[in-house]
Amino acid sequence: MTQGTETIDITLKVWRQKGPEDRGRFETIEVKDVETHMSFLEMLDVVNERLTLEGKEPIEFDSDCREGICGMCGAVVNGIPHGPEKAMTLCQLHMRKFEDGDTIVVEPLRARAFKVVKDLIVDRSPLDKIIQAGGYISVNVGGAPDANAIPISQELAEKAMDAAACIGCGACVAACPNASAMLFVSAKVSHLTLLPQGKPEAARRAIGMVRAMDACGFGNCSNERECEAVCPKEIKITNIARLNREFIKAALFSMEK
Amino acid sequence: MSWLIMTFRTSIGKKLMMAVTGLCFLGFLSIHLAGNLTLYWGKARFNAYAESLHSLGPLVTAAEWILLILGLVHVLTGAILFYQNLRARPVSYRVKKRAGGRTLGSATMPYTGLMILGFVLFHLINFHFTDRTDRTIYQIVHSAFHNPWYVGIYVAAMIVVAVHISHGFWSLFQTLGANHPRYMPFVERVGIGVSLIFGAGFGLIPLYLASVP
Amino acid sequence: MKLDARIPSGPLAEKWDKHRFDLKLVNPANKKKYHIIVVGTGLAGSSASASLAELGYNVKTFCLQDSPRRAHSIAAQGGINAAKNYPNDGDSIWRLFYDTIKGGDYRSREANVYRLAQISNHIIDHCVAQGIPFAREYGGLLANRSFGGAQVSRTFYARGQTGQQLLLGAYSSLSRQIATGRVRMFPRREMVNLVLVKGEAKGIVARNLITGAFELHEADAVILATGGYGNVFYLSTNAASCNVGAAFRAYKKGAMFANPCFSQIHPTCIPHTGEYQSKLTLMSESLRNDGRVWVPKKPGDTRPPEEIPEQERDYFLERRYPSFGNLVPRDVASRATKVECDSGKGVGPTGYAVYLDFRDAIKRDGREVIQRKYGNLFDMYKNITDADPYERPMMIYPATHYTMGGLWVDYNLMSTIPGLFVLGEANFSDHGANRLGASALMQGLADGYFVIPYTIGGYLADVTPSEVGTDHPAFEEAAKEAEARIKKLLSIKGGRTVSSFHRQLGEIMWEYCGMTRNESGLKKAIAMIQELREEFWENVIVPGSDWDYNLSLQKACRVADFLEFAELMARDALTRKESCGGHFREEFQTEEGEALRDDQNYCHVAAWEYQGEDKEPTLYTEPLVFENVQPSQRSYK
Repeated sequence: MTQGTETIDITLKVWRQKGPEDRGRFETIEVKDVETHMSFLEMLDVVNERLTLEGKEPIEFDSDCREGICGMCGAVVNGIPHGPEKAMTLCQLHMRKFEDGDTIVVEPLRARAFKVVKDLIVDRSPLDKIIQAGGYISVNVGGAPDANAIPISQELAEKAMDAAACIGCGACVAACPNASAMLFVSAKVSHLTLLPQGKPEAARRAIGMVRAMDACGFGNCSNERECEAVCPKEIKITNIARLNREFIKAALFSMEK
Repeated sequence: MSWLIMTFRTSIGKKLMMAVTGLCFLGFLSIHLAGNLTLYWGKARFNAYAESLHSLGPLVTAAEWILLILGLVHVLTGAILFYQNLRARPVSYRVKKRAGGRTLGSATMPYTGLMILGFVLFHLINFHFTDRTDRTIYQIVHSAFHNPWYVGIYVAAMIVVAVHISHGFWSLFQTLGANHPRYMPFVERVGIGVSLIFGAGFGLIPLYLASVP
Repeated sequence: MKLDARIPSGPLAEKWDKHRFDLKLVNPANKKKYHIIVVGTGLAGSSASASLAELGYNVKTFCLQDSPRRAHSIAAQGGINAAKNYPNDGDSIWRLFYDTIKGGDYRSREANVYRLAQISNHIIDHCVAQGIPFAREYGGLLANRSFGGAQVSRTFYARGQTGQQLLLGAYSSLSRQIATGRVRMFPRREMVNLVLVKGEAKGIVARNLITGAFELHEADAVILATGGYGNVFYLSTNAASCNVGAAFRAYKKGAMFANPCFSQIHPTCIPHTGEYQSKLTLMSESLRNDGRVWVPKKPGDTRPPEEIPEQERDYFLERRYPSFGNLVPRDVASRATKVECDSGKGVGPTGYAVYLDFRDAIKRDGREVIQRKYGNLFDMYKNITDADPYERPMMIYPATHYTMGGLWVDYNLMSTIPGLFVLGEANFSDHGANRLGASALMQGLADGYFVIPYTIGGYLADVTPSEVGTDHPAFEEAAKEAEARIKKLLSIKGGRTVSSFHRQLGEIMWEYCGMTRNESGLKKAIAMIQELREEFWENVIVPGSDWDYNLSLQKACRVADFLEFAELMARDALTRKESCGGHFREEFQTEEGEALRDDQNYCHVAAWEYQGEDKEPTLYTEPLVFENVQPSQRSYK
């Protein structure tokens, strides 16, 4: 039971970039004595403590809740956003998944729409812009009917919840060979459109969010399914199909412009 | 009409054009394959099929024009998508790894597409825009497939077509919004089946003809 | 200075209605002339920004993450309470009010808590209209569950992600207002100073965390919704960026800080394993429904749990609290755990953990049932600890989770600085000395959606809009103050990292101002904090520069605040010579070792006023008057 403190030595090849205009480069850092019970980000914390004491600049990376729900963390570890484990954010990845002597390549989430801010930090504000283009139900405080006024089948509520579980981390974009944001957009469109409360605005939402997505410079979905494979919340591409349906309906059969 | 243009300019709109034109090509390939299978019944049947087809006259011309337009839409839209997708990630990853979604078919779509385009041109020059005044279509085909180069090219091309369809088939369902967890596994299996049928159906013909003296 | 809570007169149930009528209104056409700053985008901040913009005010909203959706409200798991009484099990506004007052160990205001209970129902209505996918019954109506030992089922939930869904709902409303242009959103900004003009809050200085630039923003009112200060303990269930900075800036500008010693320790968290550890992960309270908590009877027993026979195990919660057993409230369970570990019976590599054992539940109900109920939690535990809870008992230990104390506010949620409003966990108002499960989400949204839209109007009606611009010298001065502090931090170039100071501070606080406190310990803690603070300002090393993204610098500012705030917290704990809720003074306990309140002398809110650098703050008290409920001893025997 008492977990022995096992340590491993690893080689980090980590992306360093001073700012958006800098070209950036990989830096190789030998990290000795990494306790295997550490999380990946705790390992980076330890590296940063060491760098600081050596008078060097620490590696900047985003993270906040460190329990897999805020969506702030996320880098590409050995070619896969959030690392090799399924259904997991980077903050939940632990060093015991690595072997002594491993070389670990850490890169920022890459997409034209995500500008690198510094090192592993990227600007994911385009995702906010997409939400602003329709990822809501237009209801003001005060006017809501009783919460039980409209029954919603459990199946529907669960399906909506499956889609609503998206944490907006951007891993889908980073994993997509085309840097498409379709899984993200479709999760929000699905969540809201499945529910009766979201139906009145369905057409406007689908068109608005798809246009906003295109305007941000994301690529086009070509059904590669890499997004689904890396999504820490296991959002399914059936949502993308639903978005396609909603978009077709809205574009061809509504008066929405 | 501006709304239609707006629609087809969006990413989903472009994908829709790919899906719909792709679907049309599947239909075309089915008819084409059905006709080609008459080759197995011998020279007479095949030539009769060709003749009855040509007797349709203007309908054939119309169909050819439609196919040309569909082809242009598919190829040009595909090219735009390919370019936009390349641009969407200007700096690529040092480590390139699949997370488990990508398949051989999906990863190679633009490339197999380009190869198919080349093949279609080659195919049209050989069998369509060729001088048919003193040869039956069977003779043209028969003599072509006694050249091992032709056999090789055609068989290879049909493998490429199969790979293209292996992704294209289920993908067009997904793009048209038809993905239901209950039916999708079936659609995917059918997609593999269809790609095998087209691949084998077309691909075996050159081999068969090469063996017919 | 007398603290006037501005509680409306009249019967409890009519106070809020009466008050809303008495509050002045701002003419709809004039609302667009007013500018309001909201700092923080958790449940309270996002909901306030959205609802104020819906009314027509101009809102500027700030958050330090890259997106407003990341605020730590997102991590709340359990649910949100409301007095809907959908299950027909006897709930009512009055019962929710009573439970909350009692749960807070009679250290909160009747009027505030009653209002919260009244509003709770509207929150659920609004959230459903917003598209929050709450759990539902087969018939399509909303599902409720009993939570945190409540005797009625009043908790609405969306799987184990209620906080996430509610926050995303508020974020979507906020996004809608950003699109209309009525809210201007400033992400990756940290409020580094509050600007007062003639004693009234008129703006903030924000630091752009990407460029390091100081940005001046004027407003007619400022709202802080900046969360709690649990990270003063270094290790807590809070997110890494949670800090007391904004509230502390306000405190230094004259806003009183109320009940800073009231912090909540959650009993079921994954224990501390090593120095590198950055956070403690909460395991849902619901695990105690089926798990049995125990330690070996013999201190220092290092046998693996399965080798310890039944008669050598001490199920200490069941032993001490036969009627509530493993389901005693958070503060009680946490303290009992600490007592066992302090006596050397703790398990695990550090000795600071107890077992939470599902062996009997699995035997009784079968593995499948347990898996259905807790599968995701078991998986999460296994992922973090590499131990399988189906095979071996979980190890758990308490961790800081929530802080009830905060900036003092009146019934209008306005602090002692006119024009400075404080919402959500950042204020002190509704939870007394202990918060009940599923009440934090309720309070955050109540403040933002349903209280502030009214009460801020009452204040603004008497304010001339846009009276002060950023050209006022007060802005320049506030920015200089903030800049000087940052320059100083960068110039020290010492030999110890920010995190190492923070870690040490956390150890001091956890040891002397954590689950149990006593006079000599608190005095010792104050001295140690002062010493550590001194060392910090001489020996901290902050790498990098102040003109680009620099997390170490951000952390340094926050830790500098915690180093001052910790002293205030310890001082408050020292001054409150009673035990109540999460504040347990060892000197004041019943014979059975339970919290002993002193209603004679401490039935009040302790509000601290800053007096200047290295000066002791002044204590003011606001008496708590109970006209509708009778304070009684909490008993869970």
